[in-house]
Amino acid sequence: MEELNMWLDFPIYASVAILCWLGASGLFLSSGKKKLNQLAAALSFAGTIVLLLFLTVLWLHIQRPPMRTLGETRLWYAVFLSGIGLVSYLRWKYKWLVSYSLGLAIIFLIINLQHPETYDKTLMPALQSPWFIPHVIVYIFAYALLGASSLVALRNLFFAPTEKTINGPIQMADNLVYLGFSFLTLGLLFGALWAKEAWGHYWTWDPKETWAFITWMFYLVYIHYRFRHPAQHKKAMGVLAVAFVVLLICWFGVNYLPSAQNSVHVYSQ
Amino acid sequence: MSKQSNRQTWAHPWSYREGTIITVAILLLGFALQATSSGMVLMVARFPLNLLAGLVFLGALIFLFVFWQKHPAIKWLGSVKAALPAILGFTFMVLLMGFVKQDVAPETALAKLLGLNHLVKTWPFILINLYLMILLGIVTLKRLTPFNLKNAGFFLNHFGLFLVLFSTALGSSDMQRLRMNCYEEQTEWRAVDNSGKVFELPVAIKLLNFNIDEFRPKVTVVDNQTGQVVLNKGKNQFELLDRNSFDLYQYHLEVEQFLDASGKVGESYFQVNEPGAAPSAKVKVTNLADRTEVSGWICSGSYVHQPEALKLNDQHSLVMLPAEPRKFSSELNIQTKSGKNLTTTIEVNRPFKIDGWTIYQLSYNTEMGRWSNLSVLELVRDPWLPVVYLGIFLMMAGAGFLFLYGKPKNGGTEHVA
Ligand code: HEM
Repeated sequence: MEELNMWLDFPIYASVAILCWLGASGLFLSSGKKKLNQLAAALSFAGTIVLLLFLTVLWLHIQRPPMRTLGETRLWYAVFLSGIGLVSYLRWKYKWLVSYSLGLAIIFLIINLQHPETYDKTLMPALQSPWFIPHVIVYIFAYALLGASSLVALRNLFFAPTEKTINGPIQMADNLVYLGFSFLTLGLLFGALWAKEAWGHYWTWDPKETWAFITWMFYLVYIHYRFRHPAQHKKAMGVLAVAFVVLLICWFGVNYLPSAQNSVHVYSQ
Repeated sequence: MSKQSNRQTWAHPWSYREGTIITVAILLLGFALQATSSGMVLMVARFPLNLLAGLVFLGALIFLFVFWQKHPAIKWLGSVKAALPAILGFTFMVLLMGFVKQDVAPETALAKLLGLNHLVKTWPFILINLYLMILLGIVTLKRLTPFNLKNAGFFLNHFGLFLVLFSTALGSSDMQRLRMNCYEEQTEWRAVDNSGKVFELPVAIKLLNFNIDEFRPKVTVVDNQTGQVVLNKGKNQFELLDRNSFDLYQYHLEVEQFLDASGKVGESYFQVNEPGAAPSAKVKVTNLADRTEVSGWICSGSYVHQPEALKLNDQHSLVMLPAEPRKFSSELNIQTKSGKNLTTTIEVNRPFKIDGWTIYQLSYNTEMGRWSNLSVLELVRDPWLPVVYLGIFLMMAGAGFLFLYGKPKNGGTEHVA
């Protein structure tokens, strides 16, 4: 353990996970056989477990929750996205959705392989709080659910809605949004309660907070639009795709905005 | 929507068109008011006027609803057709805040004129906020009946947000956030606000002891010519000195001795315990490329001592960075006008509440680091906080409803008028 540099071991774990997921997607997309689908589901699960194992070892090694750098949050995203893909397969039997989410999860791992982030054991005092873990986990989980809903939206932007897609994927996009939005709301509110404990105020319109709020507003628009116009599927899917762009700005883009210099809160490089 | 297009604007029932016009008008009016009030920073009245204004507002909403709920304009106020443009208008203001840096001096005349650098305290923001509250209030009242499980979720989300907006808007002027500089063994009861105004508080605080717990310092390799950190592609640029040996860039380091507080005597360092003592380490560095070895002391320096780097070869030197705080805390003796006298310890994320004030550990003299004899505290009084929290808890419960019940079938329009 002494000399182990965790991020150097990362390529091994990541490669195993990527191979599992590639295998799973391949099987899901190519076969119709039940046995092979089960094997694919098992492979997909195995990849997620390998990554979770890496996260556990990393956590123990750096002695703080691995949730601080962008690279670390991408790992969680890959874990949740692959997990959500699998669960929604087991629940709704959409093979294309697992394959899409596994594809997205693989992309996140590849980004991490290209930019192995420095890991840093120091954690500033403001982040040392019981709120830290729930706040970040709930957020990343929300991002993963909403990310999955946007995959559905994108797919449906290119195909005219039919009876089958409306009762299937489009309805599922709605379910994913409602689930994701409830987590997003919780993340926002946990953040406010924590900020009060740590900084003396629950909301300071710090750039990260501002963008998190904008993201929340876009999904709020989706929910209200959908409520009043349940039959306008194409437009709703459009709103969902735009909302995801805003979410990505909030997550990665904020670091590059001029308004965000000196934010306490952007995930560090 | 096509069937509405031959309806005259402002003929009932109103739709998105009227919603958009009203929202845009509110924003334009707001910016116009802001421009004519020449850079004024808005404040809400203080207690009890704000409470009174709030009650009048609530009363007016309820009155409007009870007596005119059948009126098409009031019906419209409680509909998505009013809500969507309003939410988008509010989003527009927040987007502006997302792109323009806030709380800095304005750089352009336009930013100054429209208050773009302190948008939360401008007319357009306050007006659109007020408009949202009216909509939220009306729609909450509208959906109070029939009182069933589905409407309960609706109530939690909308009334929760209403309470949060309502109490943060009205409470903003009653909230006090003050900074207090406490020096060791001195009693302090004065504090300053953001604008530098001094307040005398009903609590007196004596700093008994300020304490910093530090991480071990980090080391890195810098270029002798440029002084820049050598980019260590794909690996760590910094290593924490918490192990006895590790690799950094193209070097292998062995830490022979580590002193967390030391002073230099002659050519070496010794553990001392006096103000300004700095961490130092004796290291042996092997260049993995050519197996040459260098050994010597490195020290991160302090406000008393010079930092010391170790020259590895013509290109590189090894330097030790200042240690980062793991935790800082203040042991305080607190006396209040109400006669309390107690001793407690606060740290970041562990504030202390007394007589309506919450005392936060904010900062210290960072130049002196662990030897700082100054602790900067923040004292916050926020009498509206319980209402804000009530709103937040209602919204949390509302999120639970969204999670459990998900999207209503057919969008849900069939449940409402
Ligand atoms: C920003 C201010 C908001 C306004 C002006 C607003 C307004 C509205 C309106 C007018 C409706 C249609 C109700 C009807 O026709 O009976 C509605 C529905 C809904 N709103 Fe909002 N809302 C706001 C914020 C929120 C928030 C913060 C949430 C969730 C956290 C939310 C969640 C919902 C849901 C889920 C529905 C569907 C109705 C149902 O489930 O019965 N809204 N909203």
